[in-house]
Amino acid sequence: MIKYLYTLLVGVLVLNSSAFAAAASNDDLEKELAYLAAERQVVITASKIEEHVDKTIATTTVITQSDIQQIGARNLLDVLRLVPGIGITQTQMGWREIEVRGVKTLTSEKVQIMLNGHPLDHNLQNAGSGWVYDDLPVDTIKRVEVVRGPSSALYGANAFLAVINIITQNAKDLNGVQTSAGWGSFDTQQYRASWGKQFDNSAEAALHFNFTDTNGINSPIPADSLSVQGQPSSAPGRSQLTEGRYDLEWQLGYQDFKLDGRYINKKAGTFFGAASVLSDDRTQQDYNDYFLRLSRTWKIQDKFTVDTQIFHDFYSADNRWQLAPTQFFRTGFQDTRTGGEIQANYHISDTQTVISGFSYAKEQQGNLIDELGGDPEHLMPTLSSSEERTRRRWGIYIEDVWDPLKNLRMTLGARYDRYSDFGGTFNPRMGFNWEFIKNYSLKFSYGTAYRAPAFGELSLVNNPVVSGNPMLKPEEVKTFETGIIAHPVAGLTTQATYYHSAINQIISPVSGQTTILQYANNGSLISEGVELETRYDFGGNLQGSYISANHVLQHSTQLSQQLADVPRHRTNLTANWAFDNTWSSFAHILIKGNTLRNPSDTRNNVPGYALFDVGLLGKNMFGQKVDISFNVYNLLDKRYYDPAPTSLNFIGDYQMAGRAFFGHVSLKF
Amino acid sequence: MKIMDFCKVLILLSVFWVSAGFALPGKVLIVNSDNTVFRYETIASEFKKVLQQNAYQWTEFNLNSHADAEAELKQLIQQENPVLIYCIGTKAYSLARNVASNKKLLFSAAINWRRLDIGEGTYGVANELSSAQEISLLRYFFPTIKTIGLLYNDKFSREYVETIKKEALALGINIINQPINDTQEISGALNELLPKIDMFWIISDPVVLSSKASVQQIFQAAQQQKKPVYAYSEVFIEQGAVLAISADLATIGRQSASLALMINEDKVPEGTVQNPAGSTVTLNKCALDALRFSFNQDALDSVNKIVECDK
Repeated sequence: MIKYLYTLLVGVLVLNSSAFAAAASNDDLEKELAYLAAERQVVITASKIEEHVDKTIATTTVITQSDIQQIGARNLLDVLRLVPGIGITQTQMGWREIEVRGVKTLTSEKVQIMLNGHPLDHNLQNAGSGWVYDDLPVDTIKRVEVVRGPSSALYGANAFLAVINIITQNAKDLNGVQTSAGWGSFDTQQYRASWGKQFDNSAEAALHFNFTDTNGINSPIPADSLSVQGQPSSAPGRSQLTEGRYDLEWQLGYQDFKLDGRYINKKAGTFFGAASVLSDDRTQQDYNDYFLRLSRTWKIQDKFTVDTQIFHDFYSADNRWQLAPTQFFRTGFQDTRTGGEIQANYHISDTQTVISGFSYAKEQQGNLIDELGGDPEHLMPTLSSSEERTRRRWGIYIEDVWDPLKNLRMTLGARYDRYSDFGGTFNPRMGFNWEFIKNYSLKFSYGTAYRAPAFGELSLVNNPVVSGNPMLKPEEVKTFETGIIAHPVAGLTTQATYYHSAINQIISPVSGQTTILQYANNGSLISEGVELETRYDFGGNLQGSYISANHVLQHSTQLSQQLADVPRHRTNLTANWAFDNTWSSFAHILIKGNTLRNPSDTRNNVPGYALFDVGLLGKNMFGQKVDISFNVYNLLDKRYYDPAPTSLNFIGDYQMAGRAFFGHVSLKF
Repeated sequence: MKIMDFCKVLILLSVFWVSAGFALPGKVLIVNSDNTVFRYETIASEFKKVLQQNAYQWTEFNLNSHADAEAELKQLIQQENPVLIYCIGTKAYSLARNVASNKKLLFSAAINWRRLDIGEGTYGVANELSSAQEISLLRYFFPTIKTIGLLYNDKFSREYVETIKKEALALGINIINQPINDTQEISGALNELLPKIDMFWIISDPVVLSSKASVQQIFQAAQQQKKPVYAYSEVFIEQGAVLAISADLATIGRQSASLALMINEDKVPEGTVQNPAGSTVTLNKCALDALRFSFNQDALDSVNKIVECDK
């Protein structure tokens, strides 16, 4: 019987039987080896912990290099403003606020930006990671992943409302030399050179260099606190937000080792100024930032790997602010973070992966600069407004990604972090993604996150207006979200997400005893909303063309009042039309609702607006080596405004850029 | 009412057009990783024969003949608007997946297909035979075998080796797998592996089998330690493999074509990856005798080719 079964089995296998032919010759072996050599050219490394957007429990938007080219983005901000739930606005000092899900603050400290997975919140004095990264050049970016919602269970501090992970081109992506240059309105110029190579001995190297310079939008500023009193002032005048930056990035690899990092020097003016007096061009902000990371993956067993890394982050600010026509204040500091992380990845089975890790870091602030005087070139030392400070922190985390069914993914994770200055915090994350009907998935997740108090909030001294508070606890957020992602027909993706976030222990200045204000954990706010997204990619002759739309309805309240300066709704409509394999055109409409004022602010609401951007892109020209693009922003020259704070209510609001042009050329060798 | 009637006629016409569209055989784009590679070209040739018999149109695109294959392939897809892209080899599949992810893709001759990024509308014929069937046959031929060893590279063969281990365990055979990153590690890995095993299994791993020297190294070491070698292809019989169960290339081509016809008629569930339907079993009796390695004589009924020693 067994013999019969095996004969049957072989019968199924054997359809072709030119029996008893001669054994294969040496020539056949060579043919087979040639086949294997051809197959060897393509390596596909799929990390099981890298999840497909459709399968993850998090609300994620991915912007690819191709998308960035079509958008004609000048910097990271141009990319982010297309993401549902994210808005960009101008601040008085010159920085940009990244609003996420109806919540925005001056330093965007509730958003964690990462470069190739490395956190960039290097400014320990003021928190936030946008300081030198918000206007990051985009030519070297391969992909931007934006995860909305809390992620402290994985990434620790400050992954509070969103995580923006920027992935840059590596040696394999470059495979040669790439250069590009861009020129545009406001005397904007950008240059980039990249080189990458994979060597036969498993070594690889990628180097990127960027230079960017702009005179800024020169927005009209009608008044300041001096001019309204009839005193000498720069007002009426124009904003002086000049910006120039150098970026150098490196990614070096040999066998399982990798050394990577990025250095940035950024110099900027200011938009209005640090005080209620309009600055002239003598306000200067000077930032240096770098990180250096050495990492290695250790393969212990087939299913068990360990990722290790040590890193050193550096951030310095040396800023000279104009407080009055003949009064200047120079402030500076240096921050470092040095530490390491070990993460174990255990693939229990094809359907379950557990990761667990431990991280440690020492954070230090020193080299403080505080000077005051009437001559900006000869300022005199004054009492320091911040303190030299050190803190240590460690964290331990675990996450289980499990597919109990083919159409069901469950994620459960938690992280505990302990800081030497404010104690410990525990943050869980859980959820599921269930494809309940083919191409229709239901998502649900719950998670918490924290935002660590910044050094400035803990220990600000000698400032007559606001002082630090060493007793501060971290801000906390609890977020619940649910949504449906669907692919009703080929090429069409739609997603609807509802979120509800409760932010507690908000760190903000309140009335103080020794100073007018003092930082404290004070109050809470609720942010909830619905995000709707859809995109259709055409096929056939229209391959490469797409239309997409996202619409956000958001409602953020504090003490039952709608938050000021954030819109109730925002819409992005985009279309990309590929005429042929070379030419494509892009159009984008941003519609933003009006925004309310603070209760004490008597100005009318900031009106909403619609902006229309268009672009033309030519790819792979002149022997596949040249890409050219030309974009017009705010084509209809719409006059629109970002809200100025209540303290500057006498100037109205910040007028933003009118019609602007940007041309870009990219060469591959 | 007139408007309603007009709408009804429109709907009926639309249904007719749609039905007519489905009834017509669509155009197939064949993307070949390298038409100078015997395996790829044999499969492509058989595939085209079946298409011809069924009055299908096709266009061929050989990656080795184009300097900027990605851009040219993208352009060709725009021009031709094929209903299906047949990708022969991993390179062809990876490229097609990049430039035409919204098209139906069918692949074959891709080593360890489980490592591929398989999306919606993807179908395939595996390069490897069903490991469960292979192990069943191995047990049938060699009932005393308890432990089998193999070398592999993690980047190319991890998923395939995991499948083999799982299937073997279910049939009472222990697989000892030794990963290597480079051919220089073969010697050391074999020294460590061979004493622990009853038989060595050569799988289609492109790092392990990177040159003739690597193949010779494996067979010399196995011979020194008197371990029989089982191989995935009969090309290794001449080197000294005692048994080979080879997937038949022509059948893979024909099987892919049959699958393509069924895909066009929406008769195949998305994500279907079939095992190769045809195979050849070659027994090297000469090598077995030299090793004095016994086998189940009843299993000879299952053999297509027997290699005896030259007299």
